[in-house]
Amino acid sequence: MMSKIIAWVDQRFPLTSFVKHELTEYPTPRNLSYWWGFGFLAGFVLVIQIVTGIFLAMHYKPDSKLAFDSIQHIMREVNYGWLIRYLHSTGASAFFAVIYTHMARTLYYGSYRRPRELLWWTGQGLLLLMMATAFMGYLLPWGQMSYWGAQVITSLFKATPVYGEQIVTWLRGGFTVDDPTLTRFFSLHYLFPFLIFGAVIVHLVALHTVRSSNPSGINLADKDNIPFHPYFTVKDLFGLGIFMIIYMLIVFFKPDFFIEAANNIPANPMQTPAHIVPEWYFLPFYAILRSVPDLAGGVVAMAISVLIFAAMPYLDRSRITGGARYRPVYRAMFYIFVINIFVLGYVGAHPPTGTLKTVGEISTMIYFMTFLLLPFISRWEEKFVLAKGLPPAVEEMARKEIAEAEGNV
Amino acid sequence: MSKNKLFGLFVCLILTGQAHADQAQLQRGAHVAVEVCNGCHTLKYIKYSDFFKLGFTKKDVDAMRGDKPLDSPLLSQMDPQSELSMFGIVPPDLSLMAKAREGGAHYIYEMITGFYTDSKGQTANRVFPGIKMPDILMVSQADAAGKQAIDAKAKDVSAFLEWASDPQAEERITLGKYVIGYFVVLTVLLYFLKKKIWKRLG
Ligand code: HEC
Repeated sequence: MMSKIIAWVDQRFPLTSFVKHELTEYPTPRNLSYWWGFGFLAGFVLVIQIVTGIFLAMHYKPDSKLAFDSIQHIMREVNYGWLIRYLHSTGASAFFAVIYTHMARTLYYGSYRRPRELLWWTGQGLLLLMMATAFMGYLLPWGQMSYWGAQVITSLFKATPVYGEQIVTWLRGGFTVDDPTLTRFFSLHYLFPFLIFGAVIVHLVALHTVRSSNPSGINLADKDNIPFHPYFTVKDLFGLGIFMIIYMLIVFFKPDFFIEAANNIPANPMQTPAHIVPEWYFLPFYAILRSVPDLAGGVVAMAISVLIFAAMPYLDRSRITGGARYRPVYRAMFYIFVINIFVLGYVGAHPPTGTLKTVGEISTMIYFMTFLLLPFISRWEEKFVLAKGLPPAVEEMARKEIAEAEGNV
Repeated sequence: MSKNKLFGLFVCLILTGQAHADQAQLQRGAHVAVEVCNGCHTLKYIKYSDFFKLGFTKKDVDAMRGDKPLDSPLLSQMDPQSELSMFGIVPPDLSLMAKAREGGAHYIYEMITGFYTDSKGQTANRVFPGIKMPDILMVSQADAAGKQAIDAKAKDVSAFLEWASDPQAEERITLGKYVIGYFVVLTVLLYFLKKKIWKRLG
């Protein structure tokens, strides 16, 4: 019966061939490590967020007078409402943790390099969409941090030349964050995940065109590619198991870990909280914003700090594949960059006074320097590494790419 | 290696973070909350009927609610307007208070027992200087024996307020143990399945 139905569909729609081509028999480098599993995890968390979000929206009230109470209604009266809400609030953090790891893997192994630029840029677009979604979602509980976070971040648009004030008013739907802000953020917070879903499909089409990179950096011969199913389905599922254990530990045992105490106080426009801190996943960028003395400068620096990842395929001018694996200097830069991000995160979480302010400024400098020095360092490192010697396959690929580039000049 | 460490951290969190108040303490705390705190504060996310979850009988609850309906939330016995003129502020709702302050129930305990008489003979609070709440448990005037009784009362009401901020906690933790157990078993099985399948590649 089932096979008859499938045959009927296949005559009219490429179902079986699609599944075979893109899923079951999709050729995948066999040497992919667990670091390659985070893309799948991100997709999984996206689904969790969409499903739990739909159920939350059935009980939530996007009205500044009702929103806060409706969250408590979900927590206390809706059947398993607390579970749905904690899955969603923890899911947001899980999403960023997974995506940042996914990005770190891409950076470490140089997976953004030719021919994967478009893949990387669709990822960059996804990151921006995610950030916007998370930011708008954070307003919905209508707590003190929700309110003041939105107030601070929307006011950054004042830095826009000439139309600053108008843009801020337009974003908020009024002169301050208020009911109109809440309703529009709710509407868009519901819309954006579906845009993300669409963008993920574009991301996957791009991936399946250029195929997965792999830790060796070389294009693997056919014999080293294995079908996605069952090898990577089971590997990804095992990774998912580990992820679920950590995620569920937080959801069930430390669900308030990512919820600021101040956000359990209803929004009060007359009373600014002592410290306004964004969610942890925005802290490094927030630290950069505050480290530049002038508002416009800070906003521009913050925007560039997020967008600059897109330039990586051009900033990294080395033709040695495999990313940090064969490149000691790039590897050192990668680790400095990661540590520096944590320093920035710490700075972003605390009031910028005294030494911490200086630390923030230095870290901001390091952040941008890593990117800006890369074009020079990568070329110099390429010469150095080639002279020192590389595995033959890697060297061959690098020399070929160099020759091609020089032929084009 | 790092995964192991992460696990260790979480196990510690679970073992340390979940010391639970017993029902008798929560019941004593509920009495303090209704008889003392509720005089000025609302506990609007708690209804009288919620007290059944703490093991109170119908008779107990009837005595606590007086002529108010069972499903009525614990609104303050004073109206906000007269509170405002009396204290200069409407006392905040207490039902989510344990989540709304860093330190949670411990903060509440420290605050309500933090009253003392300063050098000018005025009542002050060492946790919240300038607080507009009076020394309702009369800590600042109590002798040593009195202080002990107050301390017990303060612990009870703080424990109750922690429960009130998160009445689902017990259910959550019980369910959580099964969920974690399920995923641990599933993950172990997946690990062996993965090993078995990848063996085929030689
Ligand atoms: C006589 C009225 C009154 C009674 C009774 C009362 N409070 Fe208060 N409470 C207040 C007022 C007024 C404030 C606001 C203080 C301020 O913000 O300065 C307050 C504030 C608080 C706060 C918040 C402190 C903060 O960090 O903002 C807590 C917690 C609190 N009360 C706990 C209790 C508990 C527990 C009881 C019962 C044992 C209780 N209160 C009984 C009047 C009262």
